Amino acid sequence: MRGSSTSPRPQRLTIVLAPWCPHCVPLSVRNGERLAQRLGIPLRILDIDRRAQEVIADRMVRRYGDWSPDYLIPQVFLEWPDGRTEHVLTGFSERVPRTAQAWRDLLASDWFRALPKGGRR
Amino acid sequence: MTTVRAFPRALQATLASPGGTCYRHCDRPIRVRRVASRLPGTWQIRACPSGVVSVTSYTEWTRRDPTLAVRRTLQAWSAPPSLVRRWDLRLATRHGPELGRVAERFLAQHRARGGVRVVYWRVYPFRARDGTERRLFVCLRRGHPSPVFFTAPPTAKTWGCPGCSRRARVAPRRAR
Repeated sequence: MRGSSTSPRPQRLTIVLAPWCPHCVPLSVRNGERLAQRLGIPLRILDIDRRAQEVIADRMVRRYGDWSPDYLIPQVFLEWPDGRTEHVLTGFSERVPRTAQAWRDLLASDWFRALPKGGRR
Repeated sequence: MTTVRAFPRALQATLASPGGTCYRHCDRPIRVRRVASRLPGTWQIRACPSGVVSVTSYTEWTRRDPTLAVRRTLQAWSAPPSLVRRWDLRLATRHGPELGRVAERFLAQHRARGGVRVVYWRVYPFRARDGTERRLFVCLRRGHPSPVFFTAPPTAKTWGCPGCSRRARVAPRRAR
């Protein structure tokens, strides 16, 4: 995972999730919205229970994320204008509060501070 | 047997996740037990006092995907080995920023060594052919060289461990 202030702004934030997953909804959707808003970029939700979205999600996870036959969700990706896709976060299977902590740490991280932002803080 | 040889202590603390209760079984607090193996990473078994396993995880500081090695180790620990199914193993990469500032800076300094990979093994409750509910148990008695995973009805106790009963059959108590 890389990001620097000299990079162009990221293009889109994508979250691969399922609506029944407590690590995903509402936790990761809310935090994803917060992250996307601070970066001034759109948020895309890919619901693995919807066939058309699942196809895109599977491809994204297989190529850039943590792929397993029954892969973990949520998985969060940042897409860049040069075509790069950066895997940012995978949910913590231990407990929902651990995934919540990961979101808090991510939003307070050096990595996030270094990202070029375009939205309201 | 080594466990933490190649896994930095600075990262171990940030990956620890104590707490929680046994979901849909007894609601008693989950205990996190560390176990050793030949692999260089750390193992954590999250189980209730009765031995019902919530999730088992293996964490390694590496670039590669350790899922295959994890599967083989778990198969050696399970009775029967077929308990470890491919789709119950799930990989997660921890990059650093989501682990807190200490881990983020530590991993940034050691980026050449790669990120942190975690493989989770979670077996959801299921029904056996006879219709009875089964859950994954672990026996961590000191007499075992390694943990023993097995399935049993949720009301069972850890003394249903096939490892313990096999040892009792193989090495009966000597008469004095």
